[in-house]
Amino acid sequence: MNYIFHIVIMINIYIILCVSTNLLVGMTNLLSLGQAAFYGIGAYIAVLSLMILNLPMIPTILLVMIGTAIASLLIAYPSLRLKGDYFVLATLGFQLIFFTILYNWVSVTRGPYGIPGIPSPKLFGIISISGLIPFLILSSIFSVLIVFIFFKLVHSPFGRVLKGIRDDEIAVLSLGRNVTSFKIWAFVISSAFIGIGGFIYATYVSYIDPTSFNLDEAIFILAALLIGGTGNIKGPVVGAVFVVVLPELLRFVGFPDSVAANLRQIVYGLTLIILMRYRPQGLAGDYKLQ
Amino acid sequence: MSDYILEINSVKKSFVRNRVNIRGEGEDERFFILDGLDINIERGKITALIGGNGAGKTTLFNAISGLAKVNSGEILYRKGNKTISIVDLPSYKITRLGIGRMFQDDHIFPDLSVLDNMMLADSDTFGEFPFISILKSSESRRIEKYKIKKVKNVFISLFGKENFFWEKRNEPAKSLSFGQQRLLGLARLFMGDYKLVLLDEPTAGVNPLIINQIINIVRQMVKEKNLTVFLVEHNMEVVLKLTDYCNFMSHGKIAVFGTPEDVIGNDEVRKTYMGI
Repeated sequence: MNYIFHIVIMINIYIILCVSTNLLVGMTNLLSLGQAAFYGIGAYIAVLSLMILNLPMIPTILLVMIGTAIASLLIAYPSLRLKGDYFVLATLGFQLIFFTILYNWVSVTRGPYGIPGIPSPKLFGIISISGLIPFLILSSIFSVLIVFIFFKLVHSPFGRVLKGIRDDEIAVLSLGRNVTSFKIWAFVISSAFIGIGGFIYATYVSYIDPTSFNLDEAIFILAALLIGGTGNIKGPVVGAVFVVVLPELLRFVGFPDSVAANLRQIVYGLTLIILMRYRPQGLAGDYKLQ
Repeated sequence: MSDYILEINSVKKSFVRNRVNIRGEGEDERFFILDGLDINIERGKITALIGGNGAGKTTLFNAISGLAKVNSGEILYRKGNKTISIVDLPSYKITRLGIGRMFQDDHIFPDLSVLDNMMLADSDTFGEFPFISILKSSESRRIEKYKIKKVKNVFISLFGKENFFWEKRNEPAKSLSFGQQRLLGLARLFMGDYKLVLLDEPTAGVNPLIINQIINIVRQMVKEKNLTVFLVEHNMEVVLKLTDYCNFMSHGKIAVFGTPEDVIGNDEVRKTYMGI
């Protein structure tokens, strides 16, 4: 049963990551390769808050969201002046810089050694959230809450403007909307909620190191989103379930241990290729990425 | 004295193009697509702009709507008693001042529903600030209902009580035919709080039935909404039927100005533009 609980917690974390990234990629057509960096910023701010500032859970989450939002704002301003492929390259550059800093700033991040022994978050400073079932409840509450918030956002007038930008940026400008401002909002909101994913991950695993937030992870989040589909809320949820459950299912196929990990990567790759060819909007998405 | 809503004085806009010289080498050459252009648009009238392909008509529209920055010159817009220089303003601010635009290639939102296309064009932006619709849900819902009612009224006033667009309001706009998309683009202009609208070839590529509908809608814009219309058009029949004034553009300047009959009957226009 613990195994199932662990999988559900990981699904919840990836639902948060994918639903948040969808606001940027699926709703605003801003393909970002830097989302793992915000996931990492959230995780490291959570560690700082819990281990150094000794803050309880709710102030920690607020700090994570504010910190990640500020970091994303600093990235959004220069990179959103770029369009299309240049924006993708700017976010890739940011992702690589972030990883290099994490890896080399040993006095703060302990570099490749990582930070072990991350304490459990304490609700109101009293109730310690540790163990599988409390984390299952915590991650489920957050994933349901975040899905609800993004559902509301996507179906709000704000979401309508974002979808307009996705379809035709010039037309939105000509209707009197400040496109850059909407893109910045999408970037900041997406990143702030991804930060919560980082908080849950860091406190659940109780150990973080830079490899959890590298380019592979950024591509993995994007792949999950594209497999599930963009443009609505169910697509990212399906994608998160798919990428977490698939490798677990492959464990039962009976691949030899020495090649199992590589075979899983091949299965992901093949899935992506087949989907792009036969179902470009993903398993449950509405929008074919341009 | 004429009441001009828009005054454009000595506007220059250049592009750089690469040409191959006599030795077969590529070299950059600066050319002026707008070369000290002057034009005035009278309030409450329909003014046409005609000219050959590449004459700079769309560039002029882009300059007015802030999508292309000019090298020099001034573009003055009169709103009430105020005269505002719009030459350095960003595009969205120019729209908010009351200058609407319909593009040559429509620029509708293909994946949004017909209703969302119209609602996004509304000048009321309440609820578009993130989370406002969650935090002030009742007010947001009320405004959304009001916008839907406004869309319905616009469709009824333009296309009659039983109209295709209201029936198809929940369908994606890409499901409409080219002509219907063109009509939707025009209808969208009735959602904004505009004083001047720029129409870039509104009748290009559509059938005669829709051309007549477009003519009626443009007339409605002027009569019922008191709008000023500035349009680029290649269909001379439409220019004659619809417009009060006509400008012929050539070599980055207005070469001939007058009533549509005078301009279309002008020898230079007939020779260089119509090939007659």
